[in-house]
Amino acid sequence: MLAFYIPHRKEGETLVMLLRRHPFVIVTKLAFWVVVAVAPVVFYFLAKDATPFVFNNSVVYPIVVLFTSVYYLYLWLFAFHSFVDYYLDVWIVTNYRIINIEQRGLFSRTVSEQELDRIQDVTSELKGFFSTMLDFGTVYIQTAGEQVRFVFKQIPDPYGVSREITKLAEQRRQAHQETEQKIPTQPPAQS
Amino acid sequence: MVGIPLAIFYYLYLACVVGFLLFTFFNVYHIIRFGFLTVGSISMIVCYLGGSIAIIAVSWFYINVIDWGQVIPFTIMGTFPQ
Repeated sequence: MLAFYIPHRKEGETLVMLLRRHPFVIVTKLAFWVVVAVAPVVFYFLAKDATPFVFNNSVVYPIVVLFTSVYYLYLWLFAFHSFVDYYLDVWIVTNYRIINIEQRGLFSRTVSEQELDRIQDVTSELKGFFSTMLDFGTVYIQTAGEQVRFVFKQIPDPYGVSREITKLAEQRRQAHQETEQKIPTQPPAQS
Repeated sequence: MVGIPLAIFYYLYLACVVGFLLFTFFNVYHIIRFGFLTVGSISMIVCYLGGSIAIIAVSWFYINVIDWGQVIPFTIMGTFPQ
């Protein structure tokens, strides 16, 4: 199970956090699709007395049936795609590295990773009413060099996550230093 | 009678259903290939496929009884109440 979660798992690597956007994000998207689904039903009840010819006409009625069917089929598809898009955006934190997996549409997928000891700065940001009330926000991770910073978008408990990543990065740096100190230095060559 | 065969709309509808099935395949494939097969994701796939079958079945119930051999006359606008 663990190996399945971590792409190209290293020896001794363990999963610390598996993050997705806050459930509020997907609930908002699905609520939108529910409104889009209910709107024609409301329209039907409001307009059925005003436009009886639509449902009595032997030519218009079939077209309305086909259009309604296509409308709901694609609405269902788009709602599911919203879920797929939400589900496949994942940020993984292990004891060695952070992995950013982002699905951009159906045919574009970005996977990037960075070693924890290369992290220089972790910033968390909570912006907006719902973000503040439900405690979700964005965590920016700046790494060494000219690497593009990692962005964990709309994740739950951004302060806690940034604290945890900072702690893990510090532990990793210490472990790295201890390993370097243990390596015996070669004696200078005698002339 | 000169006009547009109603069956054209039926074939257009079938093309839309094929497009729907194609994108359904891609979405489900992505979840299985790149997602994590948990109880939640499997439930979502089953729920989605069940919903899709339900929509297609209900649609078929209405579509099946329609006479697709009809022709839409160019003078159809004259049949609408003014």
